[in-house]
Amino acid sequence: MSIADITIIGRTSLSDELAQILAKSGLNVSVTDLTENYSTKASTSELVLEFLPDDLELKGKVLSNCDTSCQEKTILATTTAKPWITRLAHCTKRPDRFIGINFVKNPVQGKLLAQVTKGLQTTAQTVNICVESLQKAGIVPVKLEESPGLIIDRVIASIVNEAALMYSSKLATIEDIDKMVKLCANWPFGPFEFADAVGIDKVVETLNMLQQHFGPKYQPCLLLRRMLDAGWLGKKTGRGFYTYT
Amino acid sequence: MEIKKIAVLGAGVMGHGIAQVCSQAGYEVSLRDIKDEFVEAGIARIKRFLSGSVERQKMTQVEADTVLKRIKGATDLREAVWDADVVIEAIVEDIDIKKQVFKEVDELCRGETIFASNTSAQSITEMAMATKRPEKFIGMHWFNPPQLMQGIEVVVHERVSDETVRTITELCRKLGKVPGICKDSTGFIVNRLLQIWYNEGLNMYDEGIAEPSDVDTAYREGCGFRMGPFELRDMVGLDTGLAITMTHYREYMRDQFKPPRCLIMKVKAGELGRKTGRGFYNYEAKT
Repeated sequence: MSIADITIIGRTSLSDELAQILAKSGLNVSVTDLTENYSTKASTSELVLEFLPDDLELKGKVLSNCDTSCQEKTILATTTAKPWITRLAHCTKRPDRFIGINFVKNPVQGKLLAQVTKGLQTTAQTVNICVESLQKAGIVPVKLEESPGLIIDRVIASIVNEAALMYSSKLATIEDIDKMVKLCANWPFGPFEFADAVGIDKVVETLNMLQQHFGPKYQPCLLLRRMLDAGWLGKKTGRGFYTYT
Repeated sequence: MEIKKIAVLGAGVMGHGIAQVCSQAGYEVSLRDIKDEFVEAGIARIKRFLSGSVERQKMTQVEADTVLKRIKGATDLREAVWDADVVIEAIVEDIDIKKQVFKEVDELCRGETIFASNTSAQSITEMAMATKRPEKFIGMHWFNPPQLMQGIEVVVHERVSDETVRTITELCRKLGKVPGICKDSTGFIVNRLLQIWYNEGLNMYDEGIAEPSDVDTAYREGCGFRMGPFELRDMVGLDTGLAITMTHYREYMRDQFKPPRCLIMKVKAGELGRKTGRGFYNYEAKT
């Protein structure tokens, strides 16, 4: 099976951008949201992607409705980075044709990466169909198994946590830490620049999730939790590790 | 303090490059190693680098000749360091040998001479305390290749004086480099964060979450890193990498630094990366 028709449920800047890329590559893409009759719209598609807020119950309900209205061959996909794929698949009667596809925007050149994530019951065929379709549309796919924070959120949260510990232990300043990894390890951004861009709330959320699955080595450092308490969430609030005007 | 002469101990991968950078910035340099052939090899590498720069028109032949002329090779320690204002040590990463050399240099140098160690793995404080001048002892951690990498970690400790820190950070700038100050601690800034960066990726493989090529692609395409953790491990060498990770694990005693199983097994199997033709990836020519 190849995918020709895609429905995206949920309007975000990322889902808009994705829709444009997919449409440009010749796919038939429609974007809808919960104010519309999304399950009818989705009924003609081979792939349905939900871009809803991270609310397990809401996602479960929407995907279950799509499951009822969609054709049998249709693949249903969640874009969450949370380890919810198998659980959400369980809300449908097609866990074999259920998958996670999380999109990340490259912070340097702006291209999209897709983390194609297999749940326990997702078949290899479902994975391959998604990978091939993404490749055709010029989106780089990587394959992985369901896990907290997937690859991207997990590595960023971990380096931010270590850097925050280093800074709060007064071993080096925020500026020097960022400067050195950029100059000496060729990182595109320093850990604090990553943190402020991603959001301190998201970093702490990812660490909490990792801690729950893998144990105390992911415990968010005290400074990150205090920043969360203070509402210093990064660029979006004007203050994180740096101040923005 | 005005710096005129810099002595570089060790003419290897780091030492020769450090000597070249110092000379290019106009300092008189002595480059010392324990055997003539090591000194000659270091100077030959500098010559090669400089003729490359002349070919690419980054430098004139006259300039290249001047840079080379300012560097005096030596095997005699006294001859190399007696009139130096700063001694930069870039010898083998062995704390006992380093301490021994610094003890000798301590006797040979003037009292005001500053000692800097380029170590990436040993304690600056411990080396400083092996001399009679801990206030004039500092870490100056360069990156490979020294001619091209812009950052230098300036490593400070309990006993170092503010003046030494000021003099060395200024020296970094005069050498065209950017200093970043870090207190003495294993891995300083960059290597410590790199261990976490490597371990997260390698752990995902150990946990069965993703294959090396998928992790590498995600690091590159999703975060903007130039290479992924498996590619970089293969490039640097898995044995070297495991030793550095072990040092962090031993010193910090935290699970974040625990060497991943896949790294240990590769080293045991002798698959050490590009240099052996095989590591996490296969580099052997396909037949």
